[in-house]
Amino acid sequence: MSLILAIDTSSGTSVALIENGQLRAEHNVPDTMKHAELIGSAIQDVLARAFVHPSQIDAVVAGRGPAPFTGLRVGIAAATMFAAGCGVKLYGAVSLDAIALAALPTVDASKNQPLLVTTDARRKEVYWALYSGLNEYGEPIRVDGPGVMKPVELEEYLLDRNVHPVRTDLDVSATNLAFLAEAQLRAGTVSDDVTALYLRAADAVEPKPRIGKAVSG
Amino acid sequence: MTDIKLLAASEDHLEAIMVLEHVCFGNDSWLEETMRFELLADHTRYFVLLEEDKLLGYAGLSKIPGSEQADVQTVAVSPEFRGRGFGRKLMDRLLAEAKTLKATDIFLEVRADNLPAQNLYETLGFEHIDTRKRYYQPDNVDAWIMRARLAPSNKTEPIVLGIESSCDETGIGIVRGNTLLANVISSSMDQHARFGGVVPEIAARAHLEALQPTLNQALHDAKVSMQDIDAIAVTNGPGLAGALMVGVGAAKALAVASGKPIYAVNHLVGHVGVDVLEGDLELPTIALLVSGGHTSLLLVRDLLDDVTLLGETIDDAAGEAFDKVARLLGLSYPGGPAIDKAAASGDPKAIRFPRGLTLPKDMEKHRYDFSFSGLKTAVARWVEVAEAKGEDFSMADVAASFREAVADVLTAKAIAACNDHGIKRLLLGGGVVANARLRELASERCAANGIEMRIPALSLCTDNGAMIAALGAQLVMAGRAPSSLEFGVDSTLSVEMVQTV
Repeated sequence: MSLILAIDTSSGTSVALIENGQLRAEHNVPDTMKHAELIGSAIQDVLARAFVHPSQIDAVVAGRGPAPFTGLRVGIAAATMFAAGCGVKLYGAVSLDAIALAALPTVDASKNQPLLVTTDARRKEVYWALYSGLNEYGEPIRVDGPGVMKPVELEEYLLDRNVHPVRTDLDVSATNLAFLAEAQLRAGTVSDDVTALYLRAADAVEPKPRIGKAVSG
Repeated sequence: MTDIKLLAASEDHLEAIMVLEHVCFGNDSWLEETMRFELLADHTRYFVLLEEDKLLGYAGLSKIPGSEQADVQTVAVSPEFRGRGFGRKLMDRLLAEAKTLKATDIFLEVRADNLPAQNLYETLGFEHIDTRKRYYQPDNVDAWIMRARLAPSNKTEPIVLGIESSCDETGIGIVRGNTLLANVISSSMDQHARFGGVVPEIAARAHLEALQPTLNQALHDAKVSMQDIDAIAVTNGPGLAGALMVGVGAAKALAVASGKPIYAVNHLVGHVGVDVLEGDLELPTIALLVSGGHTSLLLVRDLLDDVTLLGETIDDAAGEAFDKVARLLGLSYPGGPAIDKAAASGDPKAIRFPRGLTLPKDMEKHRYDFSFSGLKTAVARWVEVAEAKGEDFSMADVAASFREAVADVLTAKAIAACNDHGIKRLLLGGGVVANARLRELASERCAANGIEMRIPALSLCTDNGAMIAALGAQLVMAGRAPSSLEFGVDSTLSVEMVQTV
């Protein structure tokens, strides 16, 4: 296989470089506010520590979230332009799947419970997805989600379906995102869709048009 | 990590260097006398990397005067500190020094079995050009001769790619020096129409989607590839924070991927700097920048070093006022063209709408500031009253009178700034310059006051990437250092901050 650069800003700023199942270098900053400041030097740092020139990279994978708006876009924009700058393939993957990839091996398979992955969606909501295990290629099998709900609603949703999952509070890392892409390449399921998963409409209210009403302010 | 310093080496470091020399090179170590000669020679430059007083590494360069070649003499990093980028730090310093000494090529030898070092040198632009068989004895290992070309950076006519994403336009432009090569704009205006104004989140989402196709089109139009680009420039403010972040994240990744320097530049100064693409930008000048997001009056004595904000809107931008008034008149978005059209047959003197901040008491404190909020409310009230009375009023007259009030106050204050400062030049920029009446009135008043007026082509007046590229090219040509990779966005960036370093 090849050298894969992964970028995920669905939580902090996370960049990683892997080669044939081996981590070459990673750079993780948990700060959820400074993506635009950190992204350039994070990529540069990973390349420098792995002694890799951008031209050696074979593919770039972007974490698509779901995540709250602003930070998520920085990583997808960076991944898109990095791939364009090097003229290499660009792939997108669901960030929650990368968490599942890391968490599933710790789940006791004999109990036959699904894995619930949740992340902070702000506004007192969580992003979530359910997984039933890894397939033969090492890809997490997502059986429900991704979605966004209030925690109480999510619990009701699971109870209604008689689902009693194992939970993980792992955070997303670009390293796991890269391993996920590698598994997807093996499985032939890798996607070039890098659109951001906001799972919420933009905050905007259509104004009441028109003359005749009191217009002020 | 504690403080790590990279310093020019002196004889004081000799003892520590010799200790590390033996650790790193064993039997191949130089003699102390050789090392002393190297450190002290006129044609060499040695550097040490220190953590407090502890020597982490050292490196040396040789450049014989009159020769255009430089040689890397040695690079050593203490084994316990390897893999942390210190070798690269030392090499970066040697490369910079070689450039300063005007070397055109730099050479080095490396063991054929030292893969990490070869990888590092390759990432620094070295290529394997020759092999010396069994050069290293007694190990019987070949030496690779590697060379990097230190082409002088293109400062006469740099090809600069500019990225603009401060509002609802994703712009990527490419210039060569003062020549426009490409100016591609992808606007999300249609998506904002039903909201009657730019929705920041929608604008930011649209930027992300537009990046790749806009870049491809710009490279295609300019007939260049990423390898031809000498530098990348990007707007880092002022503007909508979430929108700016998309452009900044994109530009930084593009810079790292292509190994090009990046320049973080000011959006508003870009509106002024764009005039270099249309001929000589004559300075000093007063600049009036009017758009949906800004209404600013600038005094520009030097594009890169002396830009002063004389005044700006204290509430709505002029373009915003057009949008809001268009909405209350039931006209379409964006408001500027809609009101221009509606006003065509109207009488601009039919209704005397107020001119914000023009009363004597306001002129003391806000001589060059603008206010359009009161004007918008006045139009709303006038319409309400007329409707309440059941009067049959002329929409054309309302539109023409409103437009006249905006154009009047904008041009009056701009002309006053020119006259007050004794500067007989006025540059207009920003999307509202598309407004026919504003151009007409500015032209009349400039002529009456003996002021030379300049208006760049409309495609360069609205937000665009070419203006960012043009300003970036000015910085490159002036020999300015690039911005660091760590700069952030600043939604209220001061116009005096032309480049964020």
